[in-house]
Amino acid sequence: MEIEASNILEKLNSTVSLLERTVAFLEQREALMSGDVQKIVAAVEQSGEGSLREAELERKLAAAEQQIAQLSAQASKAAAPARKTLPAVTTQLLAKGGITSLESIEAGALDAALTGLSLEQRIAVKAQLIRAGALA
Amino acid sequence: MRLEALAVTLPEVAGHPNRVPFEGVLTLVDEPSNRPPSGARGHRVILTREAAIAALPSLLGMAVDYAPGWDGHDARRKCGIITHADVEGNRIEVSGYLFGKDFPEVEEKLRRGDAGSMGMSYELADAHVADLNAAVWSLTRATFTGAAILLREKAAYKSTSFRLCAKRCRTTGIAGSAKPERKAAERQGRTSGRNNWQMQTGKETRWR
Repeated sequence: MEIEASNILEKLNSTVSLLERTVAFLEQREALMSGDVQKIVAAVEQSGEGSLREAELERKLAAAEQQIAQLSAQASKAAAPARKTLPAVTTQLLAKGGITSLESIEAGALDAALTGLSLEQRIAVKAQLIRAGALA
Repeated sequence: MRLEALAVTLPEVAGHPNRVPFEGVLTLVDEPSNRPPSGARGHRVILTREAAIAALPSLLGMAVDYAPGWDGHDARRKCGIITHADVEGNRIEVSGYLFGKDFPEVEEKLRRGDAGSMGMSYELADAHVADLNAAVWSLTRATFTGAAILLREKAAYKSTSFRLCAKRCRTTGIAGSAKPERKAAERQGRTSGRNNWQMQTGKETRWR
């Protein structure tokens, strides 16, 4: 009997607590819906919670942008093909054809320089040039 | 031009050392603020003309204050009083006195600062917003509880202004650098020697 009464009391307490919360919520909601605002100041918010949060977000954004820039720089360095040297024979062969610099090889000039070679040799030279990063 | 005006007429005191007349544009009516004011939960606001006119009496006798950084309000630093308010066109124009003797540093700053750099900001209480879900809040009722002198760039309305008048107060009621219309008003409505207030509503021209 006592246990039963205790259970009922406990349930009643929790119900009252729930009702109190509901009333508080409804009061808050009513105030919001009524359109009444206690105070408005026509100055831009300086040190409120909103601006602090904004400042923190701006700081985080700046840090993230810096990190992205660093990672992008690293990635572009890694992605850049390491230029390799060509075998001496190939260099000589190209020099005979008038190609002395690997910086800017024109397709027409390369084909002209390689005309004396067999198809397999031309493929091999071009493959070496691609590996060296002189041809895309 | 439609005009609503209210003024508190103070007794004339020649060469009063603590009265430095000022005038300014407090805010605009029927126009949205340039930025969200503090307390408006991120919304820009429009003070309706009707609300502004209804609230004019609450503005008279309220203080102007300042913050040390000239970037907001500090209701505990009251350095002057508003004695006159008009709704002229879409502007609420105010004038009054700065307590120059009590706040010499404020007077000095305002006199030496860049012309046109200072503005004003109102402080409202018990405001009613027509629709809280609207992007721009329309204020249909409010009570003025004060105003601040601040950098114009810190004001929610960029078109506000504040300036000290050239001379010490030598007239009653309205600030010393009275415009011609104001002088006419004083001639017509002068009640020197006693505190009172006057109201002119819905006039086509000022104090005709």
